[in-house]
Amino acid sequence: MTTSSAMLAGGPSASAPLATRSPAAGAQAIGSRITVSGVVKRYGSFLAADGVGIDIQPGEFVTLLGPSGSGKTTLLNLIAGFQKPDGGAIHVDGKPIDGVPTHRRGFGMVFQSYALFPNMTVTQNVAFPLRMAGIDRATSERRVAETLEMMRLSEHAAKTPAEMSGGQQQRVAIARAIVMRPRVILMDEPLSALDRRLRESIQIEIRDLHRTLGSTFLFVTHDQGEALAMSDRIAVMDAGRIVQIGTPTEIYRHPVNRFVAAFVGESNLIEAEILQRRGTTVTLKSRSGQVFEAESREQIDLGRVAVLVRPERIAVGAEQVSGAMRATVRSALFLGEIQRIEVELESGEPMLIRCADTAGRRLPDPGDTIWVSLGSEDCWVLS
Amino acid sequence: MSAVAPGAAAAAGPGVPLAERLRSPALLLVPAIAFLGFIYLLPLIDLVRISLAGIPWWTHFERVFSVPLYWDSLVRTMQISATVAALCLVFGYPTALLIHRSRGLAKVVIATAIILPYFIAILIRTYAWMVLLGRNGPINKLLQGIGITDEPLQLLFNRGSVLLGMTAVLLPLMVLSIYSSLSRLDGSLVRAALASGAGPIAVFWRVTIPLTLPGMGAGFLLVFVSALGFFITPTLLGGPGDQMFAMHITQQADFATSEGFLQALAVVLLVITLIVVGVAGHFLGFEFIWGGSKLVEAQTPPARGGGGARRASPGAGALLADLAGWPILRLIGRLPAGAGAWTVRIMGGAVIATLIVPIVVVMIISFSKSSFLTFPPPAFSLRWYEKFFSDSEWMAAFFNSALIAALSAAIAVSLGAAAAMGIVRSTIRGKTLLMLILVSPVVVPPVVLGLSLYSLFLRADLVGTPWGLAAAHAVGGIPIVVVIVAAALQGVDRRLEQAAAVHGASPATVFRTVTLPAIAPGLAAAAFFAFLHSFDELVLSLFLSSAQLKTLPLRLWADVNYQLNPVLAVVSSLEVLLVIGGIALARPVLSRSGGAA
Repeated sequence: MTTSSAMLAGGPSASAPLATRSPAAGAQAIGSRITVSGVVKRYGSFLAADGVGIDIQPGEFVTLLGPSGSGKTTLLNLIAGFQKPDGGAIHVDGKPIDGVPTHRRGFGMVFQSYALFPNMTVTQNVAFPLRMAGIDRATSERRVAETLEMMRLSEHAAKTPAEMSGGQQQRVAIARAIVMRPRVILMDEPLSALDRRLRESIQIEIRDLHRTLGSTFLFVTHDQGEALAMSDRIAVMDAGRIVQIGTPTEIYRHPVNRFVAAFVGESNLIEAEILQRRGTTVTLKSRSGQVFEAESREQIDLGRVAVLVRPERIAVGAEQVSGAMRATVRSALFLGEIQRIEVELESGEPMLIRCADTAGRRLPDPGDTIWVSLGSEDCWVLS
Repeated sequence: MSAVAPGAAAAAGPGVPLAERLRSPALLLVPAIAFLGFIYLLPLIDLVRISLAGIPWWTHFERVFSVPLYWDSLVRTMQISATVAALCLVFGYPTALLIHRSRGLAKVVIATAIILPYFIAILIRTYAWMVLLGRNGPINKLLQGIGITDEPLQLLFNRGSVLLGMTAVLLPLMVLSIYSSLSRLDGSLVRAALASGAGPIAVFWRVTIPLTLPGMGAGFLLVFVSALGFFITPTLLGGPGDQMFAMHITQQADFATSEGFLQALAVVLLVITLIVVGVAGHFLGFEFIWGGSKLVEAQTPPARGGGGARRASPGAGALLADLAGWPILRLIGRLPAGAGAWTVRIMGGAVIATLIVPIVVVMIISFSKSSFLTFPPPAFSLRWYEKFFSDSEWMAAFFNSALIAALSAAIAVSLGAAAAMGIVRSTIRGKTLLMLILVSPVVVPPVVLGLSLYSLFLRADLVGTPWGLAAAHAVGGIPIVVVIVAAALQGVDRRLEQAAAVHGASPATVFRTVTLPAIAPGLAAAAFFAFLHSFDELVLSLFLSSAQLKTLPLRLWADVNYQLNPVLAVVSSLEVLLVIGGIALARPVLSRSGGAA
């Protein structure tokens, strides 16, 4: 808990968890608050969860993002009750759920493998949670019909899962998870098995569902693009710990360390030494002696640091302008809407640049000299 | 046995509240282990105790090894078993390849031709060979017809007929073992070898054979171990010079000679069997007994490379292959192209004919009008079917067998399925050992088991009771159920169970709505095979039944030894129909589990 709570103060505005996105106006926030504190889970000597702490607000859409083995699915399984934590506690709406078996937690869940019951039709699959809750037939039929309608599955009601495509099966799985209008919906990499176009359309569907339902969504993925596109907040996990929690923009623009910077988006890291600090703006000197400015968090020690520059924030020009760094082009690719240019700085450090393709811009050749300029608001000091 | 994962301790270790422990799936193992403990392990221990009761303790064993009758028989048994295992390997490999290479309907037909005889009682298959090789049997008729001989030849009651009969009976075991190994062979390896310039024969020698060696080894040892305890086939097909060791045990039991010596005979057979199984298990892994994959000891995320240690060192084998193999290969390479494929087809075809022809002949004879076993029948009729169904003794035997088999299947399925659940779902230590205990009755010679149970049944007054026989048969039925149901359970998607639980299904409901439907076909197949095991069981029944409780195999056995009449052919034909029906029912199960894997 101590380690992760220190990380909670991710970016400058981490104190406002629901700052950028909240459920659409008019929808009731029926979601539960989930509080995970100091949770530990061991497999033999392997720590799958190493003191995880996170406070998920009612109705929030939180994504657990991390590479495989980082503990994100373990955390989801602990919340779902498939496994028991070896330490720590999980509270839902202030009540501990340690002793509550999975089937009484009242969550909805979507699995990567869909996990549709092969011996039941679409209707029976979606009706399953209602049946388990002992809801009467008439109500059950109405709710199933509504939910199928909502997921645009009405014409498939009588099919079995084997007769449907992957995308359709996943929509059935989502229908099953939401049919009870649960206060918490868990999603374990639900889109990983789908192709890219389908994935994007279902991403939008899930976002819209979240707005309509107002439930708390906890979503697990290893796809950073998916996490950025969907979440209110992202919790980046590594080696069983949450290393940063924040809104997508905070995570992308102001990562706390090299791991987050490298895992979310493409990044350039420049070694530099801090010369002086004024509030959140610092002045640095690069290895080749270039002096430039960057943004940082308030507490930062003077000394050698790594500075993050996102490839699309770099301005390039053929002519020398003041404050620009000299660079030699190593390779240049034309990717349609952008040019992807790899250069080497005078310090010998490589740098990746992505710039929009415009009418006048010529694709440089390897060996060309170009000038790159970094605005102080485009550079972020990593601790 | 693989190492136990350290995580296993956390699930069942101290500090876990009692209520939690009472819900552990490991408890499901208790009934089956207790049952086998009382009715299988304890009698065997008792057997060993009695065999050691002489003064001094080795008296009885000294007699076994010093009396030429027994010593010679022991050596002969080993020789016959090794020969049969070798014959099975030589003929089984091409057959397995034939199944592996054929496609579509041909594959189904060939595989069925191998599997079908496997499930027909050994007694009936041996009887079919007696018919086939008899003085008026089809083979003698054929030889006379062609004009090779004038007089019918004495084809039965010699070493050749014993070897032929035992090989035919045990071949399916070998073929299935090799085939399972072949089907796991990565086809891209063969294509890679071909692309690297290896000819089909070189591919076979350097890729196929080395990678299927475990299957060959498992098949050889399974056949060898089964042959060691063989009793029915050598008794019926052998002459005075072909006495096998197990036959001495039944004969001594009949004569009721001094107690202790009889047990010593059984212990010798048991110990030899266990040594062979132990050595085999050491090299192949004990999984070879149940032909299954390794058990997951506990939920450990990364595989800890346990299988790697068991790889045979490539050095010596490759050297031998290079020294001896390549010159031979070069010679074979001069043969016309396609010789290999034709060898497979001819040998495989011969094996299938050997397995199917006797059964077909017996089925034809069952419709004979003649009172003698003569082939082809002079005329056809249903008189022997009428005789069977109107004979009260045959019908009583049939109903006794059906009742005992139903009881036995009920015991085996309830205990075995629970145990399979415990094996697959619990995280306790020593799973491999428990599985070994559950499955071990398969390798214990039936004669030894029968003898050991006899004294227990005398004391408990169970001799000749349906429940007693059903329980004894369930000792062999439990391994069948455990293996089939454990495989079915391992195929169940845990996510489905989690999905049901998270959407409100209690553990009992999860089992009823998700787990049970998923394993139901496996349970049905297990129930059928447990039923069939008991229905066909003869050796235990010989020891444990009484004159008042005759089962169908006992009645058959008495008739086979007394007079070979076509009623036996009727019973055999009905059994074949039963097995065909069962396999037809089980087919969707087998194909589904194949598809899921």
